[in-house]
Amino acid sequence: MELPPLTMEHLSQLVASNAPPSQLFEALSRYELQACLICTGGDSTLLSLFYSSFFLVHLLTDQVSEARALTKRIPEALLEQDPSLQNCLTLLRAVWQTQHGQVYQILRGLPWPDVLQPLVRRYESFFQDKTLIAVSRSYEAIRLATAAAHLGLDEQLAKQEDPNIISNFTKCGWTWDAESKLLQPKPIVVSPEEPRSSSGIRKAMAMLGTRAV
Amino acid sequence: MTLLSDIISASAHLHDSNHLPSNEYDRRIRELVEYFRRLQSTKALDSFANDVSFLDRFDPAIDSIPYLFVLHVQIQKAQELNADPFPAALCPSGKLWTYASHFLARFDGVQVRYAGREWRLLVELVGQVSQTASMPLLGATLVKDAMLRLDPSCAVFTSSHLLLVRLCLQAKAYSCALPVLNKQICHFPISLGRSSSEPSMLCADHGSSISFMTEASGVSSKLSYRDYLQYFLYGGMVYMALKEWRNALHFLGIVISTPSTSSVSLIMVEAYKKWVLVGLLEKGKLCSPPSIATPHVVKVYQSLARPYIILAHAFERGDLRRLNAEIDAAKGVWCADNNVGLVSQVVGAFFSQTVIKLGKTFAALTVADLSKQVFPSPVCTEATGSAVASLVMSCALSATLVQTKDHTESSMLRFSSIHSLPQLSNELDIQSQLKQEMRLMETLVINLGETNNNLGLSDDYVDSLHKGQVWSGSSEANPIVGGEAELEMDEDLMGDMS
Repeated sequence: MELPPLTMEHLSQLVASNAPPSQLFEALSRYELQACLICTGGDSTLLSLFYSSFFLVHLLTDQVSEARALTKRIPEALLEQDPSLQNCLTLLRAVWQTQHGQVYQILRGLPWPDVLQPLVRRYESFFQDKTLIAVSRSYEAIRLATAAAHLGLDEQLAKQEDPNIISNFTKCGWTWDAESKLLQPKPIVVSPEEPRSSSGIRKAMAMLGTRAV
Repeated sequence: MTLLSDIISASAHLHDSNHLPSNEYDRRIRELVEYFRRLQSTKALDSFANDVSFLDRFDPAIDSIPYLFVLHVQIQKAQELNADPFPAALCPSGKLWTYASHFLARFDGVQVRYAGREWRLLVELVGQVSQTASMPLLGATLVKDAMLRLDPSCAVFTSSHLLLVRLCLQAKAYSCALPVLNKQICHFPISLGRSSSEPSMLCADHGSSISFMTEASGVSSKLSYRDYLQYFLYGGMVYMALKEWRNALHFLGIVISTPSTSSVSLIMVEAYKKWVLVGLLEKGKLCSPPSIATPHVVKVYQSLARPYIILAHAFERGDLRRLNAEIDAAKGVWCADNNVGLVSQVVGAFFSQTVIKLGKTFAALTVADLSKQVFPSPVCTEATGSAVASLVMSCALSATLVQTKDHTESSMLRFSSIHSLPQLSNELDIQSQLKQEMRLMETLVINLGETNNNLGLSDDYVDSLHKGQVWSGSSEANPIVGGEAELEMDEDLMGDMS
């Protein structure tokens, strides 16, 4: 099938669509060739949106190493000047270093263009789900504030043992011990068939009830 | 009738052949290719050299042969006219580039088996043009798609394999190489000297692509052992970039254990240096080369990669100060070998590998105690705790963390955990691994069968040998093995040389 030309309008539609991450990745991978050709004296706004979207879709499909490689393929001048791409670099650093708190801060606090907001929100949700699974497998007992920090929830409320925060975890089958003031996570199992798919994680969430956040 | 209508009619002759028996279809494609080769050699196709609309009349998915031949003529003409191997029309965005990429993304894989040389020349040209235009990503994508279209199994090593990996490394598009790198290479293109293995019909459904990816087909340029070594070294580098250390180690292992008669290739030495570093990253120890590497070759490696061996010993001893000192002392070496990045990752891996090793001694440790064990000078417990949590959460360390109510109290790291994942998770993992192994075994069995055929060890061959023995009678010596009385093993093959 012939690929329609890469335009702002088409790209915005694609980014806003609810297509599965793997499909988005496939579509944007094919557009990278067009972006390559535009790079020589082309529209920098379009390129910025394309590369930022493609970067976020890499993260959304859990390809952190390849996301890093993508930042090396972006024209250097564009990467240095474009605020959106600079945000991507900051985000990459935080994800690479598994600084959970920083990841949420960057996603929620930095000025992302409106067009990119759907992808930013999707990644935030994906990152929370992924972290929830990792925490459930890594801790036998965890303080509420630590769990909240990993999942980007309000740490102050967690320290005050806010029932809403607690219920986010108990909904997933975790146990809250009021005496020891510790959560006892229940390990979440995800099919290895869908390691890169956020839908796989969502299925796991569905098995346990509703999502934590 | 004009030449154009001749070509259209000859090509259309093939359109209706799909329902024909394989031998008839085979005959028609061969005739068509012969027809175009004749037109090319007699320069008859030159009349379309500047006809830009000619290719628009054909669909490369149906008319792959005419499209490919005429495209070649047009490219050649453009090169001659401009006295430039890469004229503007051939550069990305140029008209000829568009036609070439259109062809490589859509050609008919069966038809092109008959014009392997022309296909390969186009693939190589696209790769060269993209490199010259500093857009290797364009070439890498096209080459990868074309390779998978011609032979989805990619089981026969060709010059395109090396071209693809090189382009991917240049483009820093590592995952682009994976669809080919992840396939098992089982053969080199063979020369068909024996009639038994000669593929009478290239168009037939073959179990293995070795049946049509032959030396004579021209799909690969002449290969040397250097190409083979480079492919696996570059492939290893792609896996390193993606931090797939296990696969990287496998590829590097192939390079360093390649048989060599006298001297060791520089490529092999380079691979060994990376092998040492990747071994530390993946297994936390200095890995011995695969057992098939001969001892004298291993000695050569060790003497030529001395700083790497010293670094590995420091790492294995768990001495961070010594490790840092060795890294500083040989800075120039890492730089000259382009291994600075890997060495810096080795320092990063020191912590995780030391913690993993502690797990072999202790059942559990507090994070504060662990910090004392790992770091020579005092380190903030909070920083250690955060690093340990990252390790556990990323599954780099098989352990669990137990926090207590008091946040000033250090968390406990339990190596042998009762909090193991439910059995279902393990079963799903094993099931998935078994499926992968099964697919791999299927591929290997098919290709081994083909190799047996090529080596003359097929069941048919053994049967015919057996019949031959029966027919020859008991009094006659076996013409192949010879008389038993004459069977002697020359144990010292080089005895007469001493």
